[in-house]
Amino acid sequence: MEVKKVTKGEVIIDEGFCTGCGYCVVACKRGCLEITGEKVDARGFSKPVLVEPEKCNACGNCAIVCPSFAIEVYALTAT
Amino acid sequence: MSEITERKLVRDWPKLFQRLGILVACPGCQYGIAARLFCESIEEMSIEGKTVGVAGIGCSSGAMVLIETDWLQTAHGRACDAATAIKRVSRGRLIVFTWQGDGDALAIGTESTVHAAVRGERITVIMINNGNFGTTGGQMAPTTLIGQKTTTTPYGRDLKVEGYPFYAPEYMAAMKGVAYAARGALNTAANCKRTKDHIKRALQKQIDDVGFSYVEILSACPPDWHLTPLECQERIAKEVIPAFPLGEFKNVDCLE
Amino acid sequence: MSEKLFVIGNEAVGWGALMANCDAFFGYPITPQNEIGEWFAREYPVRGKIFFQTTSETSAINMLYGAAACGARVMTGTSSPGWALMQETMSHMVDAELPAVIVLVQRGGPGQGTTRQAQMDYFTATRGGGQGGYKNIVLCPASVQGTHDLVQLAFFLADKYRNPVVVLTDAVIGVTAENLEVKRIDFGSLPAKDWAVRGLDNQPDGQRRLLTCSQGYGPTLTYPTFLSLLTALDRKYEMITEAELRYETHQVDDAELILVAYGYPSRVCHEALEMARDEELKVGLIRLITAWPFPYQVVREKAQKGSKFLVVEDSLGQMVEDVKLGVEGKSEVYFLGTFARHLPTETGLIFPERVVEEIRRIL
Repeated sequence: MEVKKVTKGEVIIDEGFCTGCGYCVVACKRGCLEITGEKVDARGFSKPVLVEPEKCNACGNCAIVCPSFAIEVYALTAT
Repeated sequence: MSEITERKLVRDWPKLFQRLGILVACPGCQYGIAARLFCESIEEMSIEGKTVGVAGIGCSSGAMVLIETDWLQTAHGRACDAATAIKRVSRGRLIVFTWQGDGDALAIGTESTVHAAVRGERITVIMINNGNFGTTGGQMAPTTLIGQKTTTTPYGRDLKVEGYPFYAPEYMAAMKGVAYAARGALNTAANCKRTKDHIKRALQKQIDDVGFSYVEILSACPPDWHLTPLECQERIAKEVIPAFPLGEFKNVDCLE
Repeated sequence: MSEKLFVIGNEAVGWGALMANCDAFFGYPITPQNEIGEWFAREYPVRGKIFFQTTSETSAINMLYGAAACGARVMTGTSSPGWALMQETMSHMVDAELPAVIVLVQRGGPGQGTTRQAQMDYFTATRGGGQGGYKNIVLCPASVQGTHDLVQLAFFLADKYRNPVVVLTDAVIGVTAENLEVKRIDFGSLPAKDWAVRGLDNQPDGQRRLLTCSQGYGPTLTYPTFLSLLTALDRKYEMITEAELRYETHQVDDAELILVAYGYPSRVCHEALEMARDEELKVGLIRLITAWPFPYQVVREKAQKGSKFLVVEDSLGQMVEDVKLGVEGKSEVYFLGTFARHLPTETGLIFPERVVEEIRRIL
């Protein structure tokens, strides 16, 4: 029987580190992230939201370009 | 119905890396990315135990607290002198790198940097190029572009008054002691990966005792460029990279 | 090992450094100390030690900074204009608490000055010529043997206090040949340099070291605040002042006039002292061995007992100010300086006869 493995991604953004610079939004080629204005913190940083979590394939590009080390990407394997 | 059988962190933090984020950098500044790539590189190459960093003076010196190897911070511009001495006194047993900004390495540091390159010192210079003196508020530096406005060129860098910028890896490529000279950027994930390759190749030149190695890394400077981080990235793509092309300017396995 | 040679002071520097196990010399050519670098160029590579000619004195002092950070014993030699270029990083070494030895063979100034003897860098040597207020330990040889001996002491004190040490000579001592007995002097034991950078693998406790010249600027492990750094430096200077003061006195007990000198003028004063005593003049001599710390107490004591002072210094008046400070206004301080040279050209020297003439005038 063929077992099909599907990888999805989970993006965790540390709210304390993120400054809402937006690099991750541009780096994601699938448009998973967006700065919607709903996550503004006390310092005035408007932070990205994972608006299309289904599209994330754990490529990790958002974490690569994040200058504040805020992002960790997990690869979820499902069968 | 799918069940999640494995959850794995795609890219783990290097062992010696301290995730200090904006404690040591302005929002959108990219020297921290370079520090992470460097830390990953020395660990992947298993040299982190014998690596000593020499930091210049400037914002990018924060790498000393991001990367937990032994570090020495030196006088402004003089990292390559100190690094040369450390390399020689350790009889070549240590891997020595410098971590400098563009003003540090190429303005006050020119004697130090250029002669280390010319002689072919077995050190690796990482130069974070944000096109100005960042720590002091954004004055003109040797890598400020013509027409670029800074606090000391408020009408734009004037070719007739301030002359040309310093094209360091291009210059170094002509020097016989240089084994590797490259320029990278961090504005896309792909460029980050290429920059990491540059870093690793540069370090390998030192490990293999080939010659001097230099990696210049273009970085944003949102407060001093007076742009948002994303606008900085646009500027890097549209103005800085065309002026300072990316790539390897010299990559040899053996000096002449 | 003890070897007897007949060499100039500049070469005695090298022999002393060798005896002290100095590992590396980084330096730049400048008259009148080129023989120092050239000695190292000949004698060091063949012994597996490092000689490296730098591209400037600024480069030299920064190479010292790097090498010192690794825990190596390292030195340079220079003269007055080169010394000026070293000041920023001298100050950085004090901040970072790094040991190094700098031999300063003084020549005339200001500017390009002369290429021959003078004593015009006393202020910048003893007061710390770079940014911020700090002290260099300053040792003053007056002979070829003294140069060899004090260079060894310099390495010891530099390591003991983690501070740069200046060996302050002049062109006369530098290029005059005298007998030298080359031998290792044992000053005692020193703690290991736990603080040095050497790569994580080589750190005994596996902890990384961060050495910086910005101590006091941002919180580091050692000094959480600016004032904590200054407090530590202040305490260090107190310790050095108490423990490392060195000077020589000759016939000061009944002296009505005490000559104070260092370097080549102190040799001149020795002769002048003999000549004056032959004339029944009650003269004594204090010869500085350390210029910092300075023997203020001895000067103060003698001033209180009624002695006057004649400072003989080949400058327009630098060390004389320290004597005046020590005297605290309780006695008279006379000065014989560069204008007392026998010729107005750069080759002029202060001769014993001139000093005796001045002694007669005073007494």
